[in-house]
Amino acid sequence: MFSKEKTIVPYTLERCNLCKTEYKRNFKEGDFLFSSTNKCHSCDGMMIVEKIFGEPLEK
Amino acid sequence: MDFTNLDFDQLFGFGDDTNPLMMLIWIIPIVLFIFYGQRIQLQVTSGEIKKAIKKLELFKNESRSELLSYVNKSMNPKEDPTKKIDRFLDYFTIMPVDMDPNGIVQKVRHIVRAREDFTRNHVKSLSSNTNEFELTKIQTLLEIATSLQMIYKVVNHLFLTAKKQNNYPLILPLQMILPFVMEEAEAIHKAIPAFKLGQPVGDGIGPMVVGKMMLDTKKETVAFQTVMGTTEYDGRQLFLLKAEGPGSTVGRPGDAVEKIVSEHKPDIIIMVDAALKMEGEDSATIAQGFGAAIGGIGTERYQIEAIAVNHAIPIFAIVIKQSVKEAITLMSKEIADKADEVRSQIYEMIHDNTKPGQSVLLIGVGNTLGVPQ
Repeated sequence: MFSKEKTIVPYTLERCNLCKTEYKRNFKEGDFLFSSTNKCHSCDGMMIVEKIFGEPLEK
Repeated sequence: MDFTNLDFDQLFGFGDDTNPLMMLIWIIPIVLFIFYGQRIQLQVTSGEIKKAIKKLELFKNESRSELLSYVNKSMNPKEDPTKKIDRFLDYFTIMPVDMDPNGIVQKVRHIVRAREDFTRNHVKSLSSNTNEFELTKIQTLLEIATSLQMIYKVVNHLFLTAKKQNNYPLILPLQMILPFVMEEAEAIHKAIPAFKLGQPVGDGIGPMVVGKMMLDTKKETVAFQTVMGTTEYDGRQLFLLKAEGPGSTVGRPGDAVEKIVSEHKPDIIIMVDAALKMEGEDSATIAQGFGAAIGGIGTERYQIEAIAVNHAIPIFAIVIKQSVKEAITLMSKEIADKADEVRSQIYEMIHDNTKPGQSVLLIGVGNTLGVPQ
């Protein structure tokens, strides 16, 4: 009766293969684990999709 | 309030000055419940079951329309696929006779694989331009729609039979199992978006862990939709096995293990899989054990166990606990966060149970949707 319905939001976590900087963003269709997406903002490394997961967003 | 001086005659309406009509007020319900109690219970229970059946019908219809719209969008078939899809949804599987259990596993495997091959070929025939990734997703969506249709049909059949016979005891087993059935149906229904978008599901934690270890290795296909990579760790040779991602498939680990064992004879087998958690257990907890950690109908497990016994290879297991819903819907953060810890437990297990120069077969079991290698 009191439990709120939770909406699950899909996220993609990217990590730079050199400086290990992490960047979390909303999931985009076509994202796969371990695929390289774009260049790292802080170094010359590549951002790799490390995790794809869902987190609840309470209404 | 003083309860010590209750007048029972007054309470039950037996006193001389009691109106006989007042007595009827509590006698009539008792008589009613004696003769019609079961029918009243049947009506009350029916209301609850009807609500559940309506929900199941909604799940069934939604999964069918989601499947149809996805097929039209991703395959762009020349002809309207509705008729063909509806025929797929009604396909049934007759399990082999088990009066003589000898050889039943091979028979079950043959029937299940024949069904899988048939479905794959017929889905493919809708449009020859569709790539393998989309095909595996559509095949899984078809399985989802078929399962929800079957659940609806069985529950509705049990309910209508009890109603037709006006038989309350007949409805009791259905009332007892319905919460579990609904939990499973809701989980299956909620799995649709993840499979449409190609997102990793909770069951994909095994392939996710092993897939990362396979990234810089030379890969070869060892069985249908199953790949192996070879690498080294601390003087041990590792054979890494998982279903071929990023499509929605579990591969054929049984056939793959048979091939790898006959060619390389590994000293131990380690299986990493998602496992159903018990009520009260926390999600995403890691547990280690012995034996083949692999779900499904049982044919793959049988095959792996038989090979391990024939070659005297010990099987170790690492499982990541989760609920049914977590296993088939988008992977939760808690589960995804455990991947590194599972990997370090694997290395520890290899170190503790093998010597340098020996070899290990590591299998990431589960659906590899969204998880390449």
